[in-house]
Parts: sequence; structure tokens; C-alpha cells
Amino acid sequence: MQKIVDVQNVEKIYGKAGEKQFKALSDVNFEVKPGEFVGIMGASGSGKTTLLNILSTLDTPTSGQVEIAGEDITKLNNNQMADFRANKIGFIFQDFNLLENLTAYENIALPLALQNTAAKKIKPAVQSIAEKLGLTDILNHYPTELSGGQKQRVAAARALVHEPSIVFGDEPTGALDSKSARALLDTLTKINREDNVSILLVTHDPFSASFCDRILFIKDGEIGQELKKEENSRAEFYQEILDSLGTFAE
Amino acid sequence: MLNKLALSGIKHRLRDYTVLFSGLMIASAIFYMFMSLATNQAFLSSNSPAAATSFIFGFGIVLLAIITIVYVNYANTFLLSMRQKEYGMFMMLGAKSSKISRMIFVETFAIGAISTLIGSAIGVLATGFVGRWLINLLDMKVKHFSSFYLPALLWTLLFFIVIFMFSAIRNSVSLRRTKVLTLLNRDSQPVKIKRNGVMKAVQALLGLILLAVGYFTMYFSGHNPGFIYLGIPIALVTIVAGTYFTINAFVTAIIVMLKRNTKYSQKGLNNFTLSQLSFRINDYTKILSMVSIMFALALGAITVGLGFNNQIDNVVNGQNYYDVQVTNPNATQEKNIKQLSIQKKDTYNFKSDGKAVYYRNSQFKSQPIGYANMNVDTMVFKLKKSSDPAKNSNAAYELMNTRLPKYRTMEAKFVSDTEYAAVKGQESTTVLIRTTSFKNNLPMIKQISKDEIKRFPELKNAGGDKYSAYTLVNGFFSGLEFMGFFLGIAFLAMLASCLMFKILSGANGDVKRYSMLYKIGTRQKVLRSTINKEIGVLFSVPAILGIIHVLIGLQLFVKLLYKPYTNIEIPFAIFLVLYLGYYFLTRYLYKKIVLK
Ligand SMILES: Nc1ncnc2c1ncn2[C@@H]1O[C@H](COP(=O)(O)OP(=O)(O)OP(=O)(O)O)[C@@H](O)[C@H]1O
Ligand SMILES: [Mg+2]
Repeated sequence: MQKIVDVQNVEKIYGKAGEKQFKALSDVNFEVKPGEFVGIMGASGSGKTTLLNILSTLDTPTSGQVEIAGEDITKLNNNQMADFRANKIGFIFQDFNLLENLTAYENIALPLALQNTAAKKIKPAVQSIAEKLGLTDILNHYPTELSGGQKQRVAAARALVHEPSIVFGDEPTGALDSKSARALLDTLTKINREDNVSILLVTHDPFSASFCDRILFIKDGEIGQELKKEENSRAEFYQEILDSLGTFAE
Repeated sequence: MLNKLALSGIKHRLRDYTVLFSGLMIASAIFYMFMSLATNQAFLSSNSPAAATSFIFGFGIVLLAIITIVYVNYANTFLLSMRQKEYGMFMMLGAKSSKISRMIFVETFAIGAISTLIGSAIGVLATGFVGRWLINLLDMKVKHFSSFYLPALLWTLLFFIVIFMFSAIRNSVSLRRTKVLTLLNRDSQPVKIKRNGVMKAVQALLGLILLAVGYFTMYFSGHNPGFIYLGIPIALVTIVAGTYFTINAFVTAIIVMLKRNTKYSQKGLNNFTLSQLSFRINDYTKILSMVSIMFALALGAITVGLGFNNQIDNVVNGQNYYDVQVTNPNATQEKNIKQLSIQKKDTYNFKSDGKAVYYRNSQFKSQPIGYANMNVDTMVFKLKKSSDPAKNSNAAYELMNTRLPKYRTMEAKFVSDTEYAAVKGQESTTVLIRTTSFKNNLPMIKQISKDEIKRFPELKNAGGDKYSAYTLVNGFFSGLEFMGFFLGIAFLAMLASCLMFKILSGANGDVKRYSMLYKIGTRQKVLRSTINKEIGVLFSVPAILGIIHVLIGLQLFVKLLYKPYTNIEIPFAIFLVLYLGYYFLTRYLYKKIVLK
């Protein structure tokens, strides 16, 4: 079966040769299949953000190979990287990162405008994703007029509107209260099931992680352990995560 | 410890601080440049015959002081926008607010003092440089001009120390009063957007009407000089208000229209740029109006200053038909004359018997004498020729001035060749030359005229040739012209830096926006062109309005100055070069702050 993400022997060393160097990722290997909902967990400083930055072409690995949707992203030049992000990737950030001088509608439409999609096609695309995420009534609001949960759903809509190959989230629930976090995770799960969108989520939070199909634990720059939901219920999986966090931390 | 942290904060933001320092240095340099003229009474009184000059400069000082205060205020906002997060963090960690407010006080004041000192030194150099450049460029005669003038330096230092004192106090008070949380989150504070369509439409219309009224008043006053004392205040008020409303509403209306056009706005980052602009315009209306009005004044000052220069040509050319006149030329002069590009060369002989001078009629038949006829009312002159100066008083007058002083008071008689031969007395030869262009041949003309004075010292006071008329008139108008240029350039530079700072002080808030756009896949090139467009619009709105103001404002001078629109491209070119320089600098600095 084809893979959406294929990471092989990725290593990341910060700092130039001759200066003080720090190895953030030492040998990372994993893959994500189409339609999978994968979580990455690990202690602070374990290299989660570093990994996500590499996967999303914001940073380059020191060595190793990363293929996304069949394309080797480590060989792209700057413009190609930008285009790759615009076309193939959706982002959800911890602090929403909406443009406060654009309305929710305009924020969601941005990735399409960047791809120079015809104006005719933008409107139905934005409306259909907004409907799915329950944002129809607030499309004309500016971000400052929205709650944190609404903002994050707008951000999610923006990440999904151009039908990317994969959506990356770095602690997307980090700034939300538990109710909004739950609503967002439910939405992501729904999108993942119904539209077969692949999602890769970085998180600290076992509750958020329990929505994933599979969890990779990262420690000292390496994938240490893998946990699969299989036929478990979400609550059982949650317990399982808590248990392994206990052992993993030691 | 805290001081060390604050200092290391400065190190990390070296780039931003460079911007801040250079901006403030420019401000004090320009202020000094202006003061070096304005406070130099000897310079003012010896270079300008008009009593109004002192008043104009007094007015200029007030305007410049206001602009400078606004400017330092923007610079200060820039500083605070840079530092508040850090100081907020220190406070959150438990630093006492009194300590923090003392730190920001010292920081603000130290930045002010250092930049003022360096800036004034630059000002001294720049004054010398600009002064010499202008004097050479325009062949001006300027007396008592000195680039280092102590009173000006002291005034500059005092003025800046006082405003920085106030800024420092303001910063420290504002830090002490603000809640830590507000400091930490100020970037993400919501910007209130007002959406009031009807109001805006009314304003847009009102703005255009006011501008039309102002323009018409200027046109009307220019053509009816009696109306000018009522006209200028009316024009000033209507144009200031009109500019404000036009920028506030009309420009916003255009942006809204473009946004509505989804074909345009939904393409690439156009919508983002438009939104940035519409947010900015709200915030920028005041400064953009100020800049456009002041630009008009500055540009107007330069243009009118240059108008005086055209006046010189006009007066001089209306005085003499011939550019060069020589009596009994010697070999050197003959040689020099050959180097001129000659349009018309006439040679006349005359004899004098001690009571009268005698010319030969036949010489005027074969070479009609040229003369300039100035209409004193319109200040327009016509060049004519006459083959019978006996019957033409203008031609006779022109001819009289070509003689050496001792022959000028004698009656001129025009006689036949036989009668001429009978006259006993000394014969002189007068060589008259009109070149293709007085200006282009000036150096050689000057040389010939100097030699002539050496040969006939009595000419030194009597004059009569075009070059001495030129020297006289040039000395008279140069002072005014110099002041116009200097004033204009100082204002221009100040205003452009004002605009630059206002734009840069918003840059820190934009860092996040651009980094987000980058993350979701915008090419660097696209980001850069977005920035160029945005800053381009902010610069061109006041420039366009300002240029229109000047073009129409010159109507005020149609009766006062000879052809006020001649050579208008010179002040406009200076303006554009300076302004474009600031545009590119702003663009560059903005990108340095905003993009990685
Ligand atoms: N630009 C950088 N230069 C040098 N070292 C870095 C840089 N970015 C991160 N690091 C180091 O790399 C390691 C991994 O950082 P990373 O941000 O990936 O951690 P993380 O797992 O995302 O942590 P958290 O859960 O706290 O966000 C850390 O030890 C960090 O200090
Ligand atoms: Mg992280």
C-alpha cells in the first residue's frame, strides 16, 4: 500500500560545524498510511516540533530521507518547498495564527487564493468546509470577534480547504479549554473518517492523543515505542496511553 | 542583573536599534541644517532683501518643531513596541515596576542623547555639503553662510534634550501604569475596525468637494491678486480638510471596491494586501494628510525658489539684447570671442568730438541693431531689431549702454559716410555679440567682461553689459532661492523619515503575520512583492496628492512670478529622488524586520 509519509533515518543536528552542536533527532523512522490519524508524543525537548518542522519543509534534516505523497521533500528548493506547503500540507498551530485583519471567510480562502484558484471555485469550497466545521454563521466575523475554540476551528478549516495530502497539528488543543478541545478533536476525527484525510498530531496531552489510531512515542530524538488503538474504545486507549507514559517516562 | 538582561536584549535587536538610531540621527541632522540658516541673522539679512524672510523662517521653525515632535513620538512608539514585551516579562518575573520604569527612562534618554549628538555632527557636515552643492548647482551668491554655527547647534541640542526628556518620562509612566498582561499581549490586542459605509461615503464626497473649492480658490486668487489675502487662508483650510477626508474615505472606498471585486481580491495575496492597507489607512490618515500637505509646502518652496532663478534669466535677458560688448577689443579678447557660439555679431564705429558721438547710418543699414523691449507690467520682454536707431529710443538706449561711461552722456548723432569722414576726433570700435545661449556661454562671457573691466576700470561701477546686470540680479535673488531650496529639502527629508518611522513602527506587529504566510506556503518572492506594494501605496498616496496640490498651487504665483511652471522638472526630480530613496530604504528596513 502507498504511504503518505515515509521517514527514513532522519537526523537533525542544530548548530554549525565547529560551533556547539546539539543532536535533536538521532535516527527517526516511521510511516503514515493514507487516511491514518497518527499522534506523536514525547516529553518537552524530545524533538517533536523539530520533527514536524522537517516534515512540513520549514526545516531540513541533517541527513536521512523524507517522502511525502511520493515526493522526496529534502531535495526541493525554496520555491518548490513553498509550493509544496501550499498544495500538499495543511497546518494547525497551537496559537491559531489567523490573520486578524481578514475575516474568517478570507482566512479560510487564503490557501486557495495562494494557489490562484479561480474566484468562482473559492466560494463553494469555503462554504462546504465551513459547513462541515459548523462555521457558517461566523464567516464574516474577524478573529478578534471569535472565541478560542471558534478560532481554532477556522484554523482547521483553513488547513483543510485546499484538500491537502496531510494535515499537521502542533499542539492544536494546547490553547483551548477542555470543551473546545474535545469539539475540535471530534471534528478532526470526523473529517479523518469521512473524508479520509491523513492527520499527524503532535501533543503532550494523553486525552488528545487518545483520538488517534496510532501513537508514536519519541524520546531523546528517537521513536521509542508505538501504541495502536486497534479495536479498543477511546476510553480504553486513553488508559493505555497513560500506562505507557508512566513506563516510558522512566 | 536586570540591567545586563536589558542590555543583552538590545544586542539581540541590534537591527531594530540601528533603524531607530539612524532615524533619530537624521532628524537631528535635519533640524540642525535648518536651524543653521534660520538662527543666522547675518545670513538672513544679507541675503534677502525681503523683510518677510525672518517671518517665513520663524514659521518654518514652528512647523519643523511640530514635525520633529511627531517624528520623535513615532520613533518612541517604535521603541516601546520593541521593548514592552521584554519589560513586561521582567515584571512578570517579579521586577519592581519602579525599577523597570527607571530602566526605560534611562534607555529612552540615552538613545536620544547619543543620536542627537551624532546627528548634529552629521548635520554640520551635511549643511556644508548641501550648501556647497546648491551654490555650485545654481551659480548662487550667498554671503555669511557657514555650516558650523554654534547657536544653531545649541538650539538643536536643547530642543532634542527637552523632547527626549518628555518621551522618557512618558515611556516610564506608561510602563508603570500598564498592566503586565497588557504589556505581554499588546501585539495581539484587537484593532477595532469601524464599518460605517454611509459616513465614509459622505466623507469621500466632502473631501473631493473641499479639494475642488481649495483648488479653485488658489486659481482664482492667482489671477486676481487683490483676493490673495482672503484666498490663501481659505485654500489652506479647505485643502487640509479635503486632504484628510479624501485619504480617510476616498482611499478606503477604493480599497473596499477592489475587495469586492473577487476576481482581483481572491488572487494570491491581494486580499491580504488590501486588508493590511485598509487597516493601515485608518491608522495613517493623520500622518498621510500631514505628509501630503507638508510635501506640497516643501515642494512649493523649492519650485518658487527656482521660480526666482527663472526670474533672473528673465530680468537679465530683458535688460540687454547683446551678451557681450567690447570696446576696441585686444588680441586676447578677439581670441575669447571666437570661442563663443555666436548668433549675431555686430561691429559699429563711432567718433567723438567731445560734445557728441557720431555713428555711421550705413553700418546700421547693413547690420540692424538688436534691442530688448521689456513690458514692465507683464514682465515679458520682446527682442527686436532696428536699422535706424535715430528714430527708435529703445534701440538708442541699448546703443548708449554699449559705450564707455564717458561717452554715455553725450548726444548720439547718426550721419552719412561723408559727414562721418569729416568729423575730427578719436574713433572707437564697439563689438557686440549675441550668443545662442547666455547661460551656456557664461564662463567665457564672464572672462571677457572681466578683461574689459581690467582695461576700463570705470566700467566696474557703471556696468552696462549683460554680465554685470546678471551679477547684480543674481545676488539679489540667490539668497531667496537658496533658502527656498534648503527649506524645501530639509522638510522633505524630515517628512519622508516621519512616514518611514510610522511604517516601521508597525513592522514588529507584522512579523507574525508574514511568518504565518510563509508557513502556509507563500513564496518569499510573493511576500516581498506584497510588502513592496503595501509600502508603495502608503508612499504614493501623499506624494500624488502633494504633487497635485503644488501643480495647482502654483496658480497663486502666475502674476507674481514669470512663468512659474518653467523648469518645474528640477524641483520635482529632486523631490522624486529623495522620496524614492526613502521608499526603497523603508522597504528594505521593513523586510529586514519582517522577513527571515
Ligand atoms: N533552532 C534551534 N537551535 C538549537 N537547538 C534547538 C533549536 N530548536 C530546538 N532545539 C533543541 O532541540 C531539542 C528539541 O526541540 P523541540 O522544539 O523539537 O522539542 P519539543 O519536543 O517540541 O518540545 P516541547 O514539547 O517543549 O515543544 C531541544 O532540546 C531544543 O533545545
Ligand atoms: Mg514543541
